[in-house]
Amino acid sequence: MADLLFCSHYPFSSAAKAYVSGRGMEIVSSYVEKAEERVREAIVSGKVRKVPTLSDAQEEELALYAIARMIVSCAANRYLINRYAVAEAKKTGDYLSSDAGAHPEYVDAVAAEFGIRFEKTGSQFLVPLGKYLTYTPRSTDYKLANREVASGKVKVSSHERARMLEEAVKKKIERELPIRAAFPAEVKASGARMLALLPKLEATVVKVGQENYPPCIRRMIEELALNVNLPHTARVALAIYLVRAGVATDKIVDIFRGAPDFSEKTTRYQVEYLRTKGYSMPSCATMDSYGVCIAVCRCGTPLNFRANLHGRRLAQDAGTASYDAYYVSLAGGAKEEKK
Amino acid sequence: MSFLVQSPEEKFLRKKFSDYYGSSPVAVRGLEKREFGFGGWEKKIEFRHIAFRNEVELRARLVAEAPLYISHSVAYYEFPDARPMPRKNWLGSDLIFDLDAEGHSCGKFTCQQCLDRVKADAVKLIEEFLLPDFGFSKSELAVNFSGSRGYHVHVVSDAVYDLDREARREIADYVSGTGLSFERLFWNEGKKFFGPAPSQGGFGGKFARAFVAKLSDDAFAISIARKLKKPEEKEKLKSAIERGNWDNIGIANREKKLSEKFEEMKLTMAGRIDANVTADTSKLIRMPDSIHGGSGFAAKRLASPDAISSFEPMRSAPVFGSAPLKVKATEAIPALNIRDHSFGPIPAGEVRELPEACAIYLLCKKAAVLA
Repeated sequence: MADLLFCSHYPFSSAAKAYVSGRGMEIVSSYVEKAEERVREAIVSGKVRKVPTLSDAQEEELALYAIARMIVSCAANRYLINRYAVAEAKKTGDYLSSDAGAHPEYVDAVAAEFGIRFEKTGSQFLVPLGKYLTYTPRSTDYKLANREVASGKVKVSSHERARMLEEAVKKKIERELPIRAAFPAEVKASGARMLALLPKLEATVVKVGQENYPPCIRRMIEELALNVNLPHTARVALAIYLVRAGVATDKIVDIFRGAPDFSEKTTRYQVEYLRTKGYSMPSCATMDSYGVCIAVCRCGTPLNFRANLHGRRLAQDAGTASYDAYYVSLAGGAKEEKK
Repeated sequence: MSFLVQSPEEKFLRKKFSDYYGSSPVAVRGLEKREFGFGGWEKKIEFRHIAFRNEVELRARLVAEAPLYISHSVAYYEFPDARPMPRKNWLGSDLIFDLDAEGHSCGKFTCQQCLDRVKADAVKLIEEFLLPDFGFSKSELAVNFSGSRGYHVHVVSDAVYDLDREARREIADYVSGTGLSFERLFWNEGKKFFGPAPSQGGFGGKFARAFVAKLSDDAFAISIARKLKKPEEKEKLKSAIERGNWDNIGIANREKKLSEKFEEMKLTMAGRIDANVTADTSKLIRMPDSIHGGSGFAAKRLASPDAISSFEPMRSAPVFGSAPLKVKATEAIPALNIRDHSFGPIPAGEVRELPEACAIYLLCKKAAVLA
């Protein structure tokens, strides 16, 4: 599909790639400036502007997309990459919604980029189970148990279909960047300027007596500070822990500030929600199954860690009570099979 | 192998296990990409991060060391013996369902009811979830007896190969009905009330079907509405639900009653699995056809998923035969039947000559010593 409109809406597609490589592309200064603006807007406001429907602008869009990737790659910072990915994905979602009517084949083509085939059934769609699980967020809205599941396929609405493809775009960009290559000096300079957009580090390092936190919790806090996109389940567990440990909502919100898709309003609401609901802390076994358990501290639940740490029984473990203990324990085969 | 002094029982068992591995071939799918773990008398996994290039190598090691437990990873790795874990470079994993008689009260010596119940759980998992809902084909399923008192169902399919822990957790939650919510399967839109049709996939359909079936039970029907005593009223309700209509069913407090029934029936609709095993992408699991050191039974690979209904673990899983062996009970042993040989109860301290299969079972259970 060498359709310029399609390519400009979905510049990450293989069709767009083919279009660009067929024409050859020059990196001109005015493009670098515009691409830098695109990245800046993505980082600051979380948005990428839509393209005017002029063919010149559409061709330009392809160039800008490519250069923006280079700029982000030069900055080579996880926070910038992930935040940029979120913004590009969001734009894709907007296009998918607006194209669904006039160009339904576009949606199919984007899905095909990710090896997904949505089968129409009434006003909804069937999607293979594996793809459903890979590209939907793990939240109550997408809980598989409450879904129509038959013959390895899950039913989704057209809105959910767009949401899945958005997620796929985000994952793709996060995976592909940074591109390691020699870039023109101009692009490098632009990338360096982007680093100024990083949130001030002081804001993310929050003192909450972390030294006594269990390894899993400390690791999650560290990862957030490094702008890693923690999965939903991990975030919930972390928030419950912090609430239970008596940390004030403001401080908890600050800890989450490093998340690439951070939204103060949402975070605050969710933390307060967890607080009023009084959710209980997931057990160590549950933490393990979320994939966030990284040590063998034998506490049953992360909440017991501090008590154990100061108790006699684990006094000698205290020295290795960091996530290095994970490797130590694996070496000793302590994380053994249950039966 | 343990560097500590081996008890005569351990020495004996290792000799027997070694003979077994010397005479029976091993077959592991994707063997060279799996991590292996070996266990001994004290621990089911003493050593791990072990890799083999082929079956000959693996078998030579089994004959030489005769581990009491042999496990391999559900995962495939580029470098299965590398450590720490991230260096192995995970490529993908089989999807595993672990069913166990855990929680039953029979204790150390598994009783027939427990074995039957866990078998029924496994059949339910396959017939109500893996085949119809997840759409796996029978050829993608490998069913093994665990060697103790449960079953392992391995799903080997491209559709699940690279799913991460979270995705697998979601599959496990689906099977065990975790997070099931009445409000998401039944909902109001304006004044209208919607619910699932029996033909629908997922738990909505499961509930609708189970509900219709249960209406035949008068006590159940009357607990919803007195008028459902009458067969014609029952039929009317059934046919409304068949059409997916839960709205005009003329039942007072419809929503509340349905949600009560839903909560009651949730458990019977769900499957019983160990969700943590399914979610664990680097789990070590008993190697099919290896001997379980806690029973002397083989973790037998069943010929097909259908073979499970006629599989009798106490008859078919014991590895050893009928040669006589004298053992002394170190605790009271209940009446048992292994390989169609009934024996016991045996009081603590008594010496008996038993067929090897039975005697080795007691040695593995640490309920007897060589006499």
